[in-house]
Amino acid sequence: MFAAAPEHLPKVYQVYYSSTVLWVTLVPLLTGVGLYFLKDSWENARKALALIISLFSLTGVTALLPMVLNGTVSFDLLDFMQLGLYFKVDLIGWIFAFLITLVWSLATIFSFTYMDLEHNRRRFYSVLIFTLGATLGVVLAGDFFTLFLFFELMTLSSFILVIHEQNLESMKAGILYLYLGIAGGLALLFAIMLLYSATGSVAIVPVLDQLTANRTLIYILFLVGFGIKAGLVPLHIWLPLAHPVAPSPASALLSGIMIKTGAYGILRVSLILFSSPTESGTKDLNYLFAMGNALMWIGIVTMLAGAVMALLQGNMKRILAYSSVSQIGYIATGIGAAMFMGVGGAMGFAGAVYHIINHAFFKAGLFMMVGTIYIYTHELELSRLGGMLKKMPLVAVTFLVAAFGIAGVPGFNGYPSKTLVHDALLVAIKYNDLISLEIAEKIFTLTSALTICYFIKLFRGVFLGPVPEKLDRDYQLTPSTIAVLSSFALIIVAIGLFPNLILERIIVPAAEMLKYEGYAMDHLYHFNFFEWHPLEAMIIVAALALIIYIPGAYRRWFDWKPPSWLSIYALIYQPVTHYLMAFTCRTGVIVDSSVDKAYDRSGSIARSWCSFIGDFDQGLDQFYLKWGVIGRKLADRSRDMDTKIDQFYEKSGATARKLADKSADMDSALDKAYLKTGQAARKLADKSADMDSALDKAYLKTGQAAQKLAKQSNDLDRALNVVYDQAGQKAREEMEKRLENRQVKDRSKEQSRWTTKNLSFDNLLLMLVLGVVLLIIFYFGRS
Amino acid sequence: MAEKTVVAIQIIIVLAPIIMTPVIMYSCRISDQLRNGLSVATAAVTFILSLTLYPFIKDGGIVQLSLFEILPNLEISIRLDLLSFSLAALSSFVWLLATLYSLHYMAREHAGGRYYPVLIFTLGSCQGIFFAGDLFSLFVFFELMSIIAYILVIHEQTEEALKAGYKYLVMTIIGGLALFFGIIIIFELGGTVSLGVGPIIQERSTLGLIAFICFLIGFGMKAGMFPLHVWLPDAHPVAPSPASALLSGIMLKTGAYGLVRVVFFVYSYQLLQTSNWNDILAALAVITILLGSAVALTQTDIKRRLAYSSISQLGYVLLGLSILNNNAITGAIFHIFSHAFMKSALFLAAGAIIWKTGKRNIADFKGLGRQMPVTMGCFALAALAMIGIPPLNGFLSKWTLALGALDAEAPGFVLVLLISSLLNALYYLPIIIPAFFELPDSLQADHHGDEHDLPPVKIEEATPLMLSAIVILALCTIFFGLTPNNIAFSLSRLTAVYLLGGGGF
Repeated sequence: MFAAAPEHLPKVYQVYYSSTVLWVTLVPLLTGVGLYFLKDSWENARKALALIISLFSLTGVTALLPMVLNGTVSFDLLDFMQLGLYFKVDLIGWIFAFLITLVWSLATIFSFTYMDLEHNRRRFYSVLIFTLGATLGVVLAGDFFTLFLFFELMTLSSFILVIHEQNLESMKAGILYLYLGIAGGLALLFAIMLLYSATGSVAIVPVLDQLTANRTLIYILFLVGFGIKAGLVPLHIWLPLAHPVAPSPASALLSGIMIKTGAYGILRVSLILFSSPTESGTKDLNYLFAMGNALMWIGIVTMLAGAVMALLQGNMKRILAYSSVSQIGYIATGIGAAMFMGVGGAMGFAGAVYHIINHAFFKAGLFMMVGTIYIYTHELELSRLGGMLKKMPLVAVTFLVAAFGIAGVPGFNGYPSKTLVHDALLVAIKYNDLISLEIAEKIFTLTSALTICYFIKLFRGVFLGPVPEKLDRDYQLTPSTIAVLSSFALIIVAIGLFPNLILERIIVPAAEMLKYEGYAMDHLYHFNFFEWHPLEAMIIVAALALIIYIPGAYRRWFDWKPPSWLSIYALIYQPVTHYLMAFTCRTGVIVDSSVDKAYDRSGSIARSWCSFIGDFDQGLDQFYLKWGVIGRKLADRSRDMDTKIDQFYEKSGATARKLADKSADMDSALDKAYLKTGQAARKLADKSADMDSALDKAYLKTGQAAQKLAKQSNDLDRALNVVYDQAGQKAREEMEKRLENRQVKDRSKEQSRWTTKNLSFDNLLLMLVLGVVLLIIFYFGRS
Repeated sequence: MAEKTVVAIQIIIVLAPIIMTPVIMYSCRISDQLRNGLSVATAAVTFILSLTLYPFIKDGGIVQLSLFEILPNLEISIRLDLLSFSLAALSSFVWLLATLYSLHYMAREHAGGRYYPVLIFTLGSCQGIFFAGDLFSLFVFFELMSIIAYILVIHEQTEEALKAGYKYLVMTIIGGLALFFGIIIIFELGGTVSLGVGPIIQERSTLGLIAFICFLIGFGMKAGMFPLHVWLPDAHPVAPSPASALLSGIMLKTGAYGLVRVVFFVYSYQLLQTSNWNDILAALAVITILLGSAVALTQTDIKRRLAYSSISQLGYVLLGLSILNNNAITGAIFHIFSHAFMKSALFLAAGAIIWKTGKRNIADFKGLGRQMPVTMGCFALAALAMIGIPPLNGFLSKWTLALGALDAEAPGFVLVLLISSLLNALYYLPIIIPAFFELPDSLQADHHGDEHDLPPVKIEEATPLMLSAIVILALCTIFFGLTPNNIAFSLSRLTAVYLLGGGGF
């Protein structure tokens, strides 16, 4: 699924395709599972098989060298897990793979002797070989997805190595290791997902120019994910607990090899992923500068804290475990300096890689030497050991060699790598005039001095002084132990004496892949470890160490036990995890139970409502019942009333009927009466009609008689008229005569009015007559 | 394969178990052997028949057929597409294993004559849900399954079981009513409830939102979505273990399945995106995930812890569904597969432990890994898959879901997934680690840190038949994580493409 993005490598690099990469990883994984099913009693077969498998991987990895010197070896399983497994080995990966297989083979041989005193060997060898495959997978992975897959497998399987003893202490340490490992894995997963969503690929190629907004988040997540495994302060807390409790061969591998997978991841992310394929702008350079500076300071703090803590321990393995923390600090400082310097960071890169190689040898060797002592004495506490120089001189010598290595004594392997890291700091100071860098350089020197101090303490405690009575017996080392311990010593001395061999053959070619600038490469290529300048630094360190150690040992500074509340675990982890867990659980439980209660309560509320409604209903029922009774009474009563009314009506009905009958009778009587009356009336009418007609006739006759009468009266009238006219004429003549008389009388008797009365009386009489006449006329005229 | 044959097979798959139910019920009177045989045969036939649909599905076939009409536009219809097939095959597979497991597990329990018919009947109704061609048919089978499963929940008939069963029943009815209301609204708005006509609701409306919320309640209740999950942690642990495995492994998924149908077939998912209704689902899913994981931490009873874990895991599916892009939907569907295998394996393994040793409390699990190596090994494998350890299937689903979240530019969801993974580790590892690496309390008293000669422990495993069911499921967690081109993942991916491509309309 994730096709490799095109590599921007010079053409001289070739891409080989070889399944060896897959087999060196897969065979240990499968055999590891298979080993578990070997019978308990087949002890030798198991040992032999474990050794064969680790040697097989060693051979396989070695066989890749010619190819990786010329380019890269890759192999992919498309569609595996739907995402595809992709292996790609370049020189950097190869260095790690080679270290892993070599140290693993030695540790396997060492465990032959060591594990004889342990239980459950079947599980141990099985997990040991399985973890080899997983660890190899981490460094051979060609993309982050594959890397993550093996990283998680390694975390899980190495957990079983840590808790091998299965006592309280180891279980506690192992569980802390596992949880931190899983948390780190998740941080890593988040980073990979963000990377994938930003660039569309999980390939380990320069992508800084493609990352934008959340690149700091990605870097921090990667740093946390790998830093937990590597043991960077403050993520290191599991390391001093887990490394000492594991069986010594496992501790050797945990400290010598497995923490390097974290360093490997940081190296890949810081120097490859976070670089641009093209010439980067100043913005990116500033960004790298800031990130590199941060990483370098994390490294500085880690190295100092580790060294101080190592100095204060009384348990051999705990000293070594803290020493591992401190040494990882050197490596992180180297990587930080390389990132910080950008294209001029060849020195830091070389120092980091070289120190990874050297630390693998001396720390794995030291754990096995301490383990050898444990095999015979069953003691890890310095206070109960001593005088082992006489009892186990070989262990003492090899231990001294390894201690010289880690202390950086010229001629032993720690010296060149420490010098390179130191030089990287000096170069950084040269180009960036920062006070902080000066301080860093001073802390570096101080830490180196402290390293010497705690090794003096360790060596004195174990090998010098009187032998405790309990341990005063003869010890016979097994040949395999002698072989393993001497190999480590030889390797340490060989690298120390010929430091340029590895530098020129392996590290410089690896650095070339990162396209560092020519002058830096030249400086690196021609680096002379045995000139005055680096030696001088070493002498200063040694002098400082003595200045610290002598009064310290005299005044017993190093037996001081820091109070437990001062530890990072007590200060940060415990409260954080405690409160976080309490918060999570409590919130969860509160929310959950309150939701539950809400349902319950709403249920009970609903129920109470229901019962209320039920009560109401019942009340209503009773109400109805009561009223029903009343109603019934009422109804009864009304029924009575009804019947009464009924009866009343019936009675009145009967009465009415009688009445009606009577009235009907009356009616018919009336009818008859009317009928009779009618008939009578008709007769009457007939009679009156007859009468009428008779009257009519009578009127007619009367009319005619009247007409005759009228004619007669008319004649009479006319006659009268003539009479009257004559009478009137006579009267008028009379009147005129009388008027003349009257006028005469008036003139004579002006005051006498009584004559008028007489006169008017005459008139009235006349008028009366006239009226009567008129009336008569009118009367007859009418008829 | 002709479409007619396919339809016939589908009808047989649904009806065969339902018809066999009374037969099995009657067969108890003849002999228990016959009853067991018939139950297994029915489950096996159902599984094999659902596999025979594969060639048709592979050729991209889709069936949508109305069988008969009840009311105008309201019909019983049948549908077969990638989604139906995936779930039908998955559920019948797990059902078969659970039935096989039941044969020995239930031999000690009472009322087998009730258990088997109910088990087989729920299989039929469950298949009916997956093959339903419209919301109405889906609702009918959904209610059938939910209500009949009540009998599985209360099988023990203890006071606790009856109480849990009552809660389950009440919630089921609430969910059913909500669902019914939602369907009515859809019918009112769109005039149809068929799943074969393309998104019914394409425009934003208040009624549409109400219906969506109703579906969330109805199906979310079944899927154990916050705040409707309360019945789950009570009901799943009290059921007999094979029934718990089915309840958690399969029946929960019917809720998720219903929501997938709602999101893609009832609504157009673009509508959900533009109107941000999917944010409701997303918010509830996030709460569900975190809450389930956090509460699981505090549980001491193994089955209760697993039940809370189921709540959280179903939250992943809902979260994937709410994100609505290719990777997220692929992850959600694949997580349905993954979770079915993991959780069924876990419940069956827990059941085997309870069956063999009677231990339910996690504190008593010390040293069990030596006593029951295969069971605990499978438990560990499934639990590691739950945490999301790479080569196992749980990792693949989380990875795909997380990529989906990142595609949607929501890294917050990734953080939620990772926190939940860490919490998963915190509640699963304290079961596994003491089981394998600590001594039982009884032995610890005798061995004061002297671990060099541990007393040999007698291996006491459950019966091979029970073990085989557990082992097959546990191997599925490896197989469906590790193998290239695994069928579950391909189906999930195809389904996601099919759903986002508009469901083949």
